Amino acid sequence: MVDAFLFIGLPYLALVICVVGCIWRSRYKKFSMSARSSQFLEDGKLLFGSLPWHIGIITILLGHLIAAVVPRVWSSLMSVPAILFSVEAIGVACSLLAIVGLTTLIIRRITDARVQAVTTSMDLVVVLLLMAQIIVGLLTAVFYPYGANWSTGTVVPYFWGLVTLHPDMSYVTGFPMLFKLHIIGAWILIALVPFTRLMHVLAVPLGYIFRAPQIVLWNNARRRRVAVEATARAESRRDFIKGAVGVTGATALLALGISDKVLTYFKGPDPDPEAESALLQKKLERLQQTAEERQIELERQKNAMILVARYSELEESQGKYFIDYAMAPGLAFLGKDSLPLLISAKCTHLGCTVGSQVNSEGQILCPCHVSYFNIVTGEPNPGAPAKVPLPHLAWALIDANGETIASAKASGEVSGSSDPAVFAQCRLYITQPVSTSI
Amino acid sequence: MKLHEIVKNTETYVAERFPVEKMSYSAMVEKKEVPVHRVSWAYYMGGLALYFFSVQVVTGLLLLFYYQPTVSDAHASVEFITEHVPGGALVRNMHAWASSLMIGAVMIHLLTSFAMKAFAKPREITWVTGVMLLGITFALGFTGYLLPWHQVAVNATKIGLQSIEEVGQYLPGAMAEWPRIVKEIIQGEAAVGQATLSRFFALHVIILPLSIIGVLGMHLLSVQLHGMSKGIDGTPTRHEKFFPTFFMKDLSVWGVAFIILFVISLTIPFESLYSYPLFEPFNSKGSTPDGIKPEWYFYFIYYPLELLPYWVILVGSGLLGAILMGTPWIFKNTSRKTLQILAILAAIYLVVMTVFGEQIYHMFKA
Repeated sequence: MVDAFLFIGLPYLALVICVVGCIWRSRYKKFSMSARSSQFLEDGKLLFGSLPWHIGIITILLGHLIAAVVPRVWSSLMSVPAILFSVEAIGVACSLLAIVGLTTLIIRRITDARVQAVTTSMDLVVVLLLMAQIIVGLLTAVFYPYGANWSTGTVVPYFWGLVTLHPDMSYVTGFPMLFKLHIIGAWILIALVPFTRLMHVLAVPLGYIFRAPQIVLWNNARRRRVAVEATARAESRRDFIKGAVGVTGATALLALGISDKVLTYFKGPDPDPEAESALLQKKLERLQQTAEERQIELERQKNAMILVARYSELEESQGKYFIDYAMAPGLAFLGKDSLPLLISAKCTHLGCTVGSQVNSEGQILCPCHVSYFNIVTGEPNPGAPAKVPLPHLAWALIDANGETIASAKASGEVSGSSDPAVFAQCRLYITQPVSTSI
Repeated sequence: MKLHEIVKNTETYVAERFPVEKMSYSAMVEKKEVPVHRVSWAYYMGGLALYFFSVQVVTGLLLLFYYQPTVSDAHASVEFITEHVPGGALVRNMHAWASSLMIGAVMIHLLTSFAMKAFAKPREITWVTGVMLLGITFALGFTGYLLPWHQVAVNATKIGLQSIEEVGQYLPGAMAEWPRIVKEIIQGEAAVGQATLSRFFALHVIILPLSIIGVLGMHLLSVQLHGMSKGIDGTPTRHEKFFPTFFMKDLSVWGVAFIILFVISLTIPFESLYSYPLFEPFNSKGSTPDGIKPEWYFYFIYYPLELLPYWVILVGSGLLGAILMGTPWIFKNTSRKTLQILAILAAIYLVVMTVFGEQIYHMFKA
């Protein structure tokens, strides 16, 4: 019976009183909708009372509120031991902070004559009730630890039962006395809201954060001047702080973003075995290609003859590329006279490699600046950017026994056999130019 | 003239160009003012070029962590950066795009400074160092183009270097060989190969940036010493403080430039403007693919080079270089009006050659 009153009757009574009372007070006593300030009567101890008290109590109330509003999110968070311990520690620390603050406030209120002058008896009732409430809360936290976790299965359903008008006190009647006291204290405090300075919870002056500071002071000429200066100083400080916060925040975000990208850039790609082997394969091929080029270079320094192709591979209209003794590209064709026709493919204009396809006029094209070269004479077409003919290269046809069947000098002077039937078995070589000694 | 007079005149000359009394924080930063008039936008161009240069330094340093300057690995390492390294494509694109933007900013800076007669006494040193910076910037573009070692890079470099050798045909006797020797000294061997790549890498990454920083220091010092040139005939009606007013505006312009650069780099791969075969690894044995071109900022000299006899280009570019270097003295008494007309003509030439160069080329060559 007593329990039914304390856990169902009292809550509804308190809620009704609170809601009706708050509406009444906000309608008829609009200007009393706050805690009466005593800052300019005494502002020394106030700082060390009000600040710890508010920091502590707001943190704790937020914890209660979140657990009540989103119990599932909260309990899933609390199932992580590290978070649970942290929350418990923060809760205990904050209640100690609140107790220290509140104690300072009580001492201030009963020792300072000027503050006493504006103190009502209701103020004292509230402050003592709050003190009792927070001590009981702290003791609960100490004797029945991990309330952040167990409350979601007990107090929270009880609270939601009340809210949804399906009150179920079975959740709470089995609780130890200490915790019951905490719950009852909470309802009493809620009931007192409309009649006390607790009302200011509903009138949080959020605007104060953004508005220019106002300074309350005794009104005389000197104080006014000081006040103007102080206001100007405070305002410029606020502007500076706002700017600094903005710049710091933006810089921090930017730095975070950039360092995230730069770090992953330096870390390099995650090795995906397939991509990595493809990459290695490619690198190996390139290395082999380079090695081949080196090989070619070495051969040209050592050998008197370099193999170009088999005679049977030569065609009239499609040249075969090779590298000549100057490490420049050359082209090998089959001439109209069935003799091999070897011509340099390094354009005499700006050194591009000339194409290998012979056009209907017997010319090959340098794609860079469109010069057509006649493959027989080497001459560029009139008006072409290239002015100098492509030089012919010396060659030799060697048969299977290593005998030279035919050969030509760079000047075009051919010696040896000219029988295509004999050539068929031969290989085409370029011969080292007679060294024009420097 | 007697010796002591020469010494004295030299002293006066140097003192006017480097006024020691102005070498203080208060004169160079606090008291400096920027004229406000209808061509004030030109004052941002130098800063913009400087900004793109710093982007190049940062992105270049990032690329340096992955790039490998050897003929067998260069192309693969660039591909690795673009395809595998997280954010690598962005960094490489930013480096490529910012190089173009930097050259663009530098060119506009040159033309506007010319039109505003910003080279007039005592700013000769500023102008001359500026022309040197232009040269180094182009050299950076030319050397950087080779590093990816793809077809277009190597072939364009070959053509560029070959044009040095071409000078030989106009020189008499034994001197005809000199340009070839110069070319081979630059490329390090008979053909463009590993030695060339190593040399261009050293130039692009160490030598040219170091020299740019030296010359840039001189350039910026002179700018801060003499303040902004007034840029127009008559007296500007309004001035604003360089620090912080103009400086903040400068920063905003840089911010906008960064956003533009970032978006372009994120969305448009630099290579997308060419056909793919040009970006295959360089193959010394195959034929040169079609469409070998230098970077767009060389079109203004590349297409004339294709169309006109080589000596015309040689004489022309020699003259242009001399005129640029000698501008402060050649155009000493020229009015701003004339300078503006000249600058506009030059701008029209540059834009037309860059945008329509290829069409013009085909028009005359078809």
